[in-house]
Amino acid sequence: MSKDLAVDPVVLREEVKSKYRDVAVNPSGEYHFHTGRPLARRLGYDSAIVDSMPDAAVESFAGVANPFSLRSLEQGEKVLDTGSGGGFDCFVAAHQVGPQGKVIGVDMLPEMLEKARKTAESMRLKNVEFREGLLEEIPVEDGWADVVISNGVINLCADKKRVFSELWRVLRPGGRLQFGDIANGKPVPESAIRNIDLWTA
Amino acid sequence: MLVDTGFVDIQISQPYDTFGEAKGEKKARLFDVYGYTFLARKPG
Repeated sequence: MSKDLAVDPVVLREEVKSKYRDVAVNPSGEYHFHTGRPLARRLGYDSAIVDSMPDAAVESFAGVANPFSLRSLEQGEKVLDTGSGGGFDCFVAAHQVGPQGKVIGVDMLPEMLEKARKTAESMRLKNVEFREGLLEEIPVEDGWADVVISNGVINLCADKKRVFSELWRVLRPGGRLQFGDIANGKPVPESAIRNIDLWTA
Repeated sequence: MLVDTGFVDIQISQPYDTFGEAKGEKKARLFDVYGYTFLARKPG
């Protein structure tokens, strides 16, 4: 582990996997964050789009903001969702870019990927694909994306410098990064930053 | 970190009360944690 990192990335990754595996297989469970349709409403997602989706597309949604609130996607754009979870933001993106666009979701959890793929199939979305991978090593070619989106995932990565370097790599020149994440207004003590249990609590 | 990476035209949304009324609300309030949307462009 790099001495510059507050926590071990591998240990943190396992902690995150454990937490979000539960959200995939038991979306109605009790978590410290909101999930599903109530969360989408709270974050101001377009209700016409969300209401048109099956429950499986929304129930494991656990984002922290709305990547589409400052700018919508355009028809035909190629979009990469990093940390796509159950696929909710990919399905919103697919609606916005239309059949001429393309959406790739990348996630590290097999349970989330399986769920997202099944849901995409049930929604007959031909232009949405899910790949297994990490934000630190995104399985997408250089400059592929017109837009990279993400929602509540970058804060769960220990090596943010490497993550942002990867986001830069996969974006085409002139491309956009639209992501939701959390930020703290009051300083967090060093001891808390180094306490891996608090990263997902 | 967005600026350090080279992104430009950065915009940040108003805060979302992401954890309001959730089990994690108390801990979020302790450090003033809110959700935000970030928009940035890779020059090209």
